[in-house]
Amino acid sequence: MAVRVQIPGPLRSLTAGASEVEVEAADVAALIEALEARHHGFHERLYDGQGQLRSYIRIFINDEDARSLGQARATLKAGDRVAIVPAIAGGAAT
Amino acid sequence: MCAHARKGHPFEVCGVLVGTERDGVTFVAAALPVANRETEAPRVRYVIAPEDLLRIQRESREAGHDIVGYYHSHPDHPARPSETDRRIAAAGLSDGVVHVVVGVDGAGTALPTAWVFRDALQAFEPAPLDVD
Repeated sequence: MAVRVQIPGPLRSLTAGASEVEVEAADVAALIEALEARHHGFHERLYDGQGQLRSYIRIFINDEDARSLGQARATLKAGDRVAIVPAIAGGAAT
Repeated sequence: MCAHARKGHPFEVCGVLVGTERDGVTFVAAALPVANRETEAPRVRYVIAPEDLLRIQRESREAGHDIVGYYHSHPDHPARPSETDRRIAAAGLSDGVVHVVVGVDGAGTALPTAWVFRDALQAFEPAPLDVD
């Protein structure tokens, strides 16, 4: 099933500048593999060394946090809008 | 950004820069304040909720813009990225992203500086900041 994925700026070097791409995937894990197959580099950028989604990356499915839907196992349906959103934090404290 | 930093002192404030990029130059159309979601140490830390980013991303795209960077203040601390800023940027998706750091003190002096994070360096590089 085809879903649309919004690509954040730092990952657009992988998609030739495209801010949105469409892939076929039944869940979030398959979506990332589909992105990797078409645009090499997504797997390394989204997963940590233990194969978990990096802690500073959130994935939303139709505005709902994928973590509450099973994260990598969260299912997708045709027409879903997926957004990859970097978490932003920091501060003066070292 | 400076007014936001002064108003928020002694707490850190933060926001999102929306605009466009052309030929390697980032044009900021608006600096949008967002709530600092840090609850334990908001004087020295900031957190932008992904939900806020998602909303701003959607709204800015409808206006023909995009998220091109972020800003936050350093109350009574130097106007440059801290090691915390660097470490978190290195762990996330920050390559090529503009960060403005506003140093601000209790007297109302605010100094904005611009930086771009480079994955290859695992560090921020200073960037020129021109205001029209």
